[in-house]
Amino acid sequence: MNILIIGGGISGISAAKVLLKTHHKVTIVEKSEAPGGLMEKIANCRIGFKTFYDEIRDDPNLTVIKGTCVIDAERVNGSFKIHLEGQGHIDADRIIISSGLVPYDPKHLKGKRIITSLEYDAMIDQKNVELPEINKIAFVLCVGSRGNEYPLCSSVCCSYSLREIKWTLQRIKPEITVFYNDLRFFGQEFYMEKVFRDAGVNFIRANSRYFDEDENGVTIRYYNDNRIIEDRFDYVVLSIGLHPNPELKSLSEVFGFTLNEYGFIKEVEPLKTDIEGIYVSGGALEPMNIKDAILTGFGASSKCLSDLNGGFDDTIENKISYEDTPDIDNIPVDLNSYLFYLGIDDPSFKMFYEFLSESFINIAQKLCELGKNVCIVTQNLVMPSYGELLYENARRKGVIFVHLEEGQSLKVENSTAYIHGQKDVLSFSFDKMVSFNDYIELFKNKEFLFQYRTEPQIRWNPTKWDRKHFFYGFCRYPRSERWKMREYFGAVGEVILDMEEERVYPTLSEERCSGCGSCKDACPQSAIEMIVHEKPLSVFGPNFETREPIAHIKEDVCVGCGLCASVCPSDVISYEVPFK
Amino acid sequence: MQQTDNNIEHTIFNIEHLNKKIIGMSGYKREDFSVCLGCKICASVCTVNDLSIDANPQELLSSLFLGRTVEKNHPLVLFCTNCYRCTHNCPWGIRIPEIIRAFRETLGIESQFEKAFKGAVKIWGRVYEPYVFLKSATYMLKEGYIRYVPKWFEYISFHLPYKIKGR
Repeated sequence: MNILIIGGGISGISAAKVLLKTHHKVTIVEKSEAPGGLMEKIANCRIGFKTFYDEIRDDPNLTVIKGTCVIDAERVNGSFKIHLEGQGHIDADRIIISSGLVPYDPKHLKGKRIITSLEYDAMIDQKNVELPEINKIAFVLCVGSRGNEYPLCSSVCCSYSLREIKWTLQRIKPEITVFYNDLRFFGQEFYMEKVFRDAGVNFIRANSRYFDEDENGVTIRYYNDNRIIEDRFDYVVLSIGLHPNPELKSLSEVFGFTLNEYGFIKEVEPLKTDIEGIYVSGGALEPMNIKDAILTGFGASSKCLSDLNGGFDDTIENKISYEDTPDIDNIPVDLNSYLFYLGIDDPSFKMFYEFLSESFINIAQKLCELGKNVCIVTQNLVMPSYGELLYENARRKGVIFVHLEEGQSLKVENSTAYIHGQKDVLSFSFDKMVSFNDYIELFKNKEFLFQYRTEPQIRWNPTKWDRKHFFYGFCRYPRSERWKMREYFGAVGEVILDMEEERVYPTLSEERCSGCGSCKDACPQSAIEMIVHEKPLSVFGPNFETREPIAHIKEDVCVGCGLCASVCPSDVISYEVPFK
Repeated sequence: MQQTDNNIEHTIFNIEHLNKKIIGMSGYKREDFSVCLGCKICASVCTVNDLSIDANPQELLSSLFLGRTVEKNHPLVLFCTNCYRCTHNCPWGIRIPEIIRAFRETLGIESQFEKAFKGAVKIWGRVYEPYVFLKSATYMLKEGYIRYVPKWFEYISFHLPYKIKGR
């Protein structure tokens, strides 16, 4: 089967991987001179993309056509005949569209010292030996998203700003200030946030458009602590949003699929357009991060395979575990006023902001439609991409939102809530209060996949727990319902990729292991556990039995990276490398 | 609503009748204002803050929805110049000056000139200078505007008031 992938970004390459594994012929059409897309533009992700792409680069079934785009297509007996600009035509049975996202260009704000985050990324690239003098730097979030012109949240700007802070602190130690509206982080990024806060990064819940730039710096004016503050910075980084690719419009004219009002592809079935045989992945769906782009890339191709073969066999299905989203809509509706408090201090529970923000807003909106008085007091609302529309609608429909600023807190006494601000104290009386802490039991004593697996550099697998377990739904990462089936197909794609993969596993000679545990600490996959063995020991004649811990390697989990062998002090762990 | 300490400002959940009226006076719907994100961009660009007065237009919006009262001496109500810089920079294009004008009207702190100007617009749909001048003569005399009168004669022509078509 010939499958055409339009766009050679991370999501297109992920889709190609699954299809090549199942022995299909894949053609990738890329508009620019080399595959890579947006991920190639970020200095620290470039190498990640390269290693990902290198695995399939030399596959004989893969053709990459660079520097061209699709200008016309016709349907011949269920398959497509596609005309490329200046490159003749090719035949394809199925098409996957992964045209990606385009960064917003804030022309009216930009200057010499007011730069976009992509420009800043190029500036602090490891390759640049000499950096300009930066003593004070500001990050301004939500530029070009969450507004009238583009109401969606770009869902990645907060995360990549956090990474840029990390990369900045690795090289220089400037004074950093972050101006934010909501900190929309995911998973372990909340731990990173806490670390940076402790390291002195200043987070301010206010945004600004007053930039006064001169030769030596930029003056920013912002409102905080009930007063206007003017501050000077050496550089201002605008965290720009991601908009849909304008090329999607011409593609939709060529192929006939429909776009929604925001310029993204309308998804009728999970990862499928309304035209038979055309699938969609990555940034053509909605703004998403790299890991989700990989997930939908895997998903689009496995959805394509599922339509071709009529489902998957049980060996694949058995590996995939699913957990249903718990129903939390158990709030009585016969009361008059409701107060929702969305805030928690423990960073290990902050990853559930995304799930609870959406649930709270949904419930609040329902109550508001019944004519109740509803107020949501929030520390942080995580409503990425299309979630922002729900939030906007709730604001319009009469749910009152009160955003807690840095240092403010909510205290409750006798069905009255007090917010202690700098100047005065706000108080609300309510009949029923619903808070984050009420739902903490849902998440306690459970392991979620995302808990320690957010960084794509460490793990490329978006749904894999270990080689026998692939998670989707609530147990992967609690989030919006529309992701459920996308995650399922993504998991299928990952199982297909994982099957029959050649791996060299380490061998461990149990007699010589001293049980020091250094391999256990080194293993990034937690594949090594220490078990207590009874071990014969002879000291001067009589034999004793001693109980000693020794290392045990779980083969399901091990990926064969070799870190354990390299740290083992007594060379107990070894690799048998076959000679070629 | 309970009444306790002075420094604790109590709010009630529902929109007060007064605040509903203010939104109605602005000529827009409630949801055009409640879409506010709370980003405080408006405060950063506000021209009132050029006078080193700490004012936050977003605070007015939130007090509108939380049912809080706005004092007569609130800097924005007193000094807003209707420059619409907040609207221009607001991600949602919220027309805050319109709310502030409604506040001025309900709080009764409009000057005679403003009242006369609005009255003329209400009657004829446009400004009729003689009417404005006569109505607010005492105010203008008191505030010293009278010294500009010779200048006005350069472009004021006396005529009967024109009416806007369809009024």
